[in-house]
Amino acid sequence: MFRRSMPNARRNRRMNRSNQLSKAVETVETMEESGEQGTELVSHHGVILKSHKSYDCAGTLSLMQYGRNKYIEWKAAEVNVDSDTQDHEWAVVSTGRSSRHRSNSECARAEPLRLNTVNLKSFRVSRHRYGQHLTFAQRGESRSFITFIFHQGNADVFVKSLLGQLKAYRSRRDRNLYDLAEEDSQETQELRRSFAELNLFPETAPYGVWNFIGQFRQRPYEATMGAFSKITDALLYKPAENDDSSVAELLNNSLMEEDAVIANVSGEEYEVIGSKATPILPSRPPVTRGAPLSVERWAQATAEDGRVTDVTAIKKIIFHGGVNPSLRYEVWKFLLGYYSWNSTYAERMCLRKSKVEEYYQMKQQWKSMTPGQEERFSDFRDRKSLIDKDVKRTDRVLSFYAGDDNPNVDLLNSILMTYVMYNFDLGYVQGMSDLLSPLLQLMSNEADAFWCFVGFMDRTCTNFDMDQAGMKLQLTQLHTLLSILDPQFTHYLDQHESGNMFFCFRWLLVLFKREFTQENIMRLWEVFWSDLPCPNFHLLFCAAILDSEKETLYANNSGFTEILKHVNDLSLKIDLDSTLSKAEGLYLQLMNIESELPDSVRTIIGLEPLNPVDGDSENDSIEDDDGDCSNHTEHDSSIETVSLGALGGEVAFERGINFQYM
Amino acid sequence: MANRGGAAQRPNSQTQGKICQFKLVLLGESAVGKSSLVLRFVKGQFHEYQESTIGAAFLTQTVCLEDTTVKFEIWDTAGQERYHSLAPMYYRGAQAAIIVYDITNMDSFGRAKVWVKELQRQASPNIVIALAGNKADLANSRAVECDEAQAYADENGLLFMETSAKTAKNVNEIFLAIAKKLPKNEQVSGAGSANQGRRLVESDSSAKTAGNCCK
Ligand SMILES: Nc1nc2c(ncn2[C@@H]2O[C@H](COP(=O)(O)OP(=O)(O)OP(=O)(O)O)[C@@H](O)[C@H]2O)c(=O)[nH]1
Ligand SMILES: [Mg+2]
Repeated sequence: MFRRSMPNARRNRRMNRSNQLSKAVETVETMEESGEQGTELVSHHGVILKSHKSYDCAGTLSLMQYGRNKYIEWKAAEVNVDSDTQDHEWAVVSTGRSSRHRSNSECARAEPLRLNTVNLKSFRVSRHRYGQHLTFAQRGESRSFITFIFHQGNADVFVKSLLGQLKAYRSRRDRNLYDLAEEDSQETQELRRSFAELNLFPETAPYGVWNFIGQFRQRPYEATMGAFSKITDALLYKPAENDDSSVAELLNNSLMEEDAVIANVSGEEYEVIGSKATPILPSRPPVTRGAPLSVERWAQATAEDGRVTDVTAIKKIIFHGGVNPSLRYEVWKFLLGYYSWNSTYAERMCLRKSKVEEYYQMKQQWKSMTPGQEERFSDFRDRKSLIDKDVKRTDRVLSFYAGDDNPNVDLLNSILMTYVMYNFDLGYVQGMSDLLSPLLQLMSNEADAFWCFVGFMDRTCTNFDMDQAGMKLQLTQLHTLLSILDPQFTHYLDQHESGNMFFCFRWLLVLFKREFTQENIMRLWEVFWSDLPCPNFHLLFCAAILDSEKETLYANNSGFTEILKHVNDLSLKIDLDSTLSKAEGLYLQLMNIESELPDSVRTIIGLEPLNPVDGDSENDSIEDDDGDCSNHTEHDSSIETVSLGALGGEVAFERGINFQYM
Repeated sequence: MANRGGAAQRPNSQTQGKICQFKLVLLGESAVGKSSLVLRFVKGQFHEYQESTIGAAFLTQTVCLEDTTVKFEIWDTAGQERYHSLAPMYYRGAQAAIIVYDITNMDSFGRAKVWVKELQRQASPNIVIALAGNKADLANSRAVECDEAQAYADENGLLFMETSAKTAKNVNEIFLAIAKKLPKNEQVSGAGSANQGRRLVESDSSAKTAGNCCK
């Protein structure tokens, strides 16, 4: 692949080893003498070191850990070509070691290069006809740069892992620029000079940047040239000795001055990507849980005729502390919309009477189905058989459903069968019996449980969409929220084949039913049903759990499988109250920067979009910049599709699949 | 809960040879006993009221095959048709699949055939497929004849066994048969987990036993 796509002239050039590269070897060897065993954190094959003016060498770029320090390491590709040609496209982004691409034998002799990340000031990703460039800028006065060209695949996965492993901040003005936090280590000083000593670029300091500018000059796009002329000047003439601003900063500042958010000026050579800030969250305020809604408070809120006054205040109490278990039987009917808050005792009695009748009427419909009718009614039979299979294995460990011939299991069955008659199109989908079980246990009464279930399903029926659209939307929304709440963790997930958030599928499908005890799930659900403090609070609850688990995932460098397993195994181990507090804290953090939130986030948490017409299709993941995602970067003008546009449900799923297996 | 039958053999510390790792996926209609088979194989347990699988579950189990240690990475999927669209995420890159049906349920056998077709069309070309007629302990209510299933399996080049997660009949056996049939020297490239950077580990003695199947 490498050979095929390289221009002939370049291919035929011979390796011209420079003294400078030999120096690089020395550095590496010295380090190896010290006996440190490195750990490879991530690597990418098919990366060209833009080191020498006359020759480009393909190799493997890695992030390595030696002791406490992390290094960017580049090694020329080995000559041995794995005979296995399967998965060519993906071999280059796999972190596996096998090197499947060809390389020139001269290249194989090119010396490795190793850069301590503590000496790196920033890095920037830019796009080029032959692949993305990743340019590192060194700290300190020497102002050196080194550019790697991602000739095979794109740099995203690598960049995301850098973000996961290094403390980096995305520039607010230039979304392709990342500043690395300064870490003072003992070795900092002594290694600081590594770039300078290596002196990789004897004649023209930052080759990659020169190249950039050179090409840029030839194509003076009107829109961008103003913004960039300054940089061009600064780079064409070596910066003054004491000017210690880096090119990255120059790029950055220049963009800032012009406020040059120039979207996608695409040319053959270059594309300047518009900048868009990821808002920085303020720290999380401490949140404490409250006491459950008490019998007294409930009585106080109930007027003489039975109307519930003070609904807002009551919901607030429920949001912060849930409902006293003895009141649930009553209060849940309101929360689930069976009773309206505004109804009187008399009205509710009347309503209940007719609802009970209606229930038994519908129940009669399936009960009276003759065997012959059933025989000829396969859709009905399918639903019936699914219910049959599931009620037998729903919460049978709870005493309420335990034992053979437990009548409550029959009730579960009856209610679900009746629901099939109530909403035949939705019918029965696996997971519904889980949702019904706590309701029936609480209500005991068949008809009441049914109507509460109807209310619950009204809220959650999109979870059971035929095409999984509701689930995909939620997983996408969760990803969107996380990318603001915790960009680093989001990058980590993306990088570990988990950007589709599929590991949260069970949480969302049955609203954490499998993760908590029956008592706790009742508490959690009533909190959700308060609809406070915002729509989709359950997604913030997901984010809160993940926040508590991410360190473990980082530590184990968990991938798709391990993440899913870890999340599945959290069942019954999640602390409810602290997680609820954290979720509320996350909400408060978001609200603190409300005006900076992109519309994709605003719409999820129920805020008015700021740009309702054009939408805010900016997504903060790097993918948006890529050519290879162009099939789904088209911006739609409606809000719903905007949030789906760049990271659309379908796309996100597909992406997950691709990353994992292709 | 019955607790008969032990978990599959675990490798002991003197295991010779290489460790081979395979991705295996369980497919089949809801309630045919996929999770029960895995639970039996991995933990040696059986739960009468095994809850339905939502999304997917991931488990691992290791078996010893002569001097080769085979590590199965098992994906247990949700059987209901509604979740069918998620299945490719799990069977892609799998080197082995067990397609399960319930011998007391003819529909589940029909569904199994559909799965076989889908895998033959869409999964890795060299995938080893086994057909498991589960709930063999309920032979009294049998709806699918053993011969019929065997003939179908032969036609399609599938491994076939009637199993019972409840009695443990043929559970370890079917996994072992798969392990035997898997090509031990080629599985690196096809491994779904290769992209996650996990590699096979060679045990100390591998050099001495290089002549064996796991090269
Ligand atoms: N008698 C008998 N029952 C079994 C056997 N295997 C499973 N079962 C029962 O069949 C029911 C369904 O088993 P599961 O293992 O949950 O089925 P599944 O295929 O995983 O179902 P989904 O997760 O819904 O796809 C449970 O009640 C099991 O106890 C078996 O070999 N014999
Ligand atoms: Mg299952």
